[in-house]
Amino acid sequence: MILWKLAFRNLRRNRRRTLLTLAAMVASSSLLILSLGVFSGMFVDMLASVTEQYSGHMVVAGKGYLDRREMHATMDQAQAVTEQASRLETFRGASPRLRSFGLLSLGDRTQPAEVLGIDPTREIQVTQLHRKLVDGRYLDPDEDHGIVLGVGLARKLRAEIGSELVFVTQAADGSIGNDLMTVRGLFDTGSVANDNGLALVPLHWLQETIALPDQLHEVAITLKDPLQAKPTAAVLAGRLDDRLEVRDWGQMLPEMAEVIASYGASTLILSMILYAAAGLGIVNTLYMSVMERTQEFGVLLAMGLHPAQVRRLVLLESTVLGVLAMVLGATLGFFLTLWMKTVGIDLSGSISSITYAGGTILPRLHAEFEFRNFWLPSLLLLVTAVLAGWLPARRAARLQPVEALRED
Amino acid sequence: MKAIFQILLLFFLTTVPALALDMQQLVREVEQQYWGVSSRARVTMEVRTANWQRSLEMESWSLGRERFITRILKPAKEKGVATLKVDNEVWNYLPKVDRTMKIPPSMMGGAWMGSHITNDDLVKGNKIDEEYSFTLLEETEEYWRVEGIPKPDAAVVWGKIIYQIHKATRTPQVVEYFDEEGIRVRRTLFDQLTPIGDRILPMRMEVIPDDTPEEKTVMLYRQIQFDVDVDESFFSLRRLKVRR
Repeated sequence: MILWKLAFRNLRRNRRRTLLTLAAMVASSSLLILSLGVFSGMFVDMLASVTEQYSGHMVVAGKGYLDRREMHATMDQAQAVTEQASRLETFRGASPRLRSFGLLSLGDRTQPAEVLGIDPTREIQVTQLHRKLVDGRYLDPDEDHGIVLGVGLARKLRAEIGSELVFVTQAADGSIGNDLMTVRGLFDTGSVANDNGLALVPLHWLQETIALPDQLHEVAITLKDPLQAKPTAAVLAGRLDDRLEVRDWGQMLPEMAEVIASYGASTLILSMILYAAAGLGIVNTLYMSVMERTQEFGVLLAMGLHPAQVRRLVLLESTVLGVLAMVLGATLGFFLTLWMKTVGIDLSGSISSITYAGGTILPRLHAEFEFRNFWLPSLLLLVTAVLAGWLPARRAARLQPVEALRED
Repeated sequence: MKAIFQILLLFFLTTVPALALDMQQLVREVEQQYWGVSSRARVTMEVRTANWQRSLEMESWSLGRERFITRILKPAKEKGVATLKVDNEVWNYLPKVDRTMKIPPSMMGGAWMGSHITNDDLVKGNKIDEEYSFTLLEETEEYWRVEGIPKPDAAVVWGKIIYQIHKATRTPQVVEYFDEEGIRVRRTLFDQLTPIGDRILPMRMEVIPDDTPEEKTVMLYRQIQFDVDVDESFFSLRRLKVRR
């Protein structure tokens, strides 16, 4: 108990030094928490750019379709798939889709496009394209000839809201499927692939146009927790008939899954680099304070304090400092992350969005909360503080009382 | 000595190009049989794939090598769908939406009317004798086998083409198409030799892709007339829309 008292008194005695050390520790941990939050934000953006703008977290399709996207590899079990999916624990939404690759043309301009037949009321549960509209509106549920397309595609076609586009593709019966579509809305997602080559059309219209009545290519599913997609996909696959297969986003986008998996390792490395610097600072401060108090330690030792107790005293000081820094750092980190999440920094003036590993990194700094971003830096900070206290503590414990007393 | 050398030189200078030109000329002759100065034909096209099969009846006109128009007569669902080719460009007319669409360069390798014939075949097929250099591979009593390799600067689709040409009629029997790696991609078989005016032509053409051998496209000429009365203005976008 006396050791605690001594430790606190020592820390209080030279306030400026204590506060400076504390400030360095708090700054490094809170900034690390913030930067990890920004990393998380980037990954969430990237994952969302793929899953929430296009694929969903899981996709159910007829066996073989997902590899070759062959038009005739259709399925018709929409009802059963939706029903089974909705029983999943983290289920959020399911959207039946039919896909066609064809040509869109306006006047003498023609562009190849991926045309996705959707049910608007169901699709908005899966993708967020309806929130990315920059002009016009989304498809109406009972609409027949409406089309919503990416801004890049519209620019190439010189199409605007109300333009009549011709859609031409090879239908499933070998004939040329073609029809007129009216442009209803334009979306801008930041993803080049989507903005330059994707169009949404009513599902029933597409089924008729490409001669695949009541057929689907896939059911896209979103979950409340995208990181649960892999086990959930396995569960769902077990409940569906074996003509169907289920894939999670990790299988559809292996590069993205790898990036996110390597994120854990990068977090650790980044923390260690940052704390190596902070740790040296702490060692320095504590060392100085031990040197300054050489005489004092000499007195303590002369009075019969065991060297182990002296060591413990110094370690206690660094630990108290560590705990204090941990609490303050986490709190400051929390508020910094919160600020970055709600306000963020817009970089669209200086850079445009980047597509990486199949996902799109938006031109903004924005953070997301993840529990791991807090406990890992905090724990490492404490460990650093204790380790940094070790060297000065050992020195203090090894002092010879007589020599120490003589020093000035 | 010098004289012998000169003779030898003369021999190489004259005969080698002459032989090569011969093959070139032969292929051109074979290709032109179909095109003539101008033509009008009624064609049935049957397409069979793993998933569907269909039969189209079409009417087509051509003028020289550069102009070609074809229009679907049957089935009713596709009646009036038409294709116009002028030089290197292809347009499709779609009566349902009353629009003509130019095929973009990226889609030239795509199927024409759902068949195993590509838009590129329509555009480049008639230039084969200009863009490939031909050498004789094999000669028998019945046929020549002639190999075509793309000329260095030619923008071509195939890495190699082998013609098997019937000697007596100078008509193709088999044409094989290879990719850049030398793997055969598809072949076209010709039969039903029939005299048309002063020429003899195969009336049936079968295109068989190698990656899906169960699929094929069969073109059957029901009628073909040469030197019909059409001029360049006939092959226009306006004309493409005319229903007859």
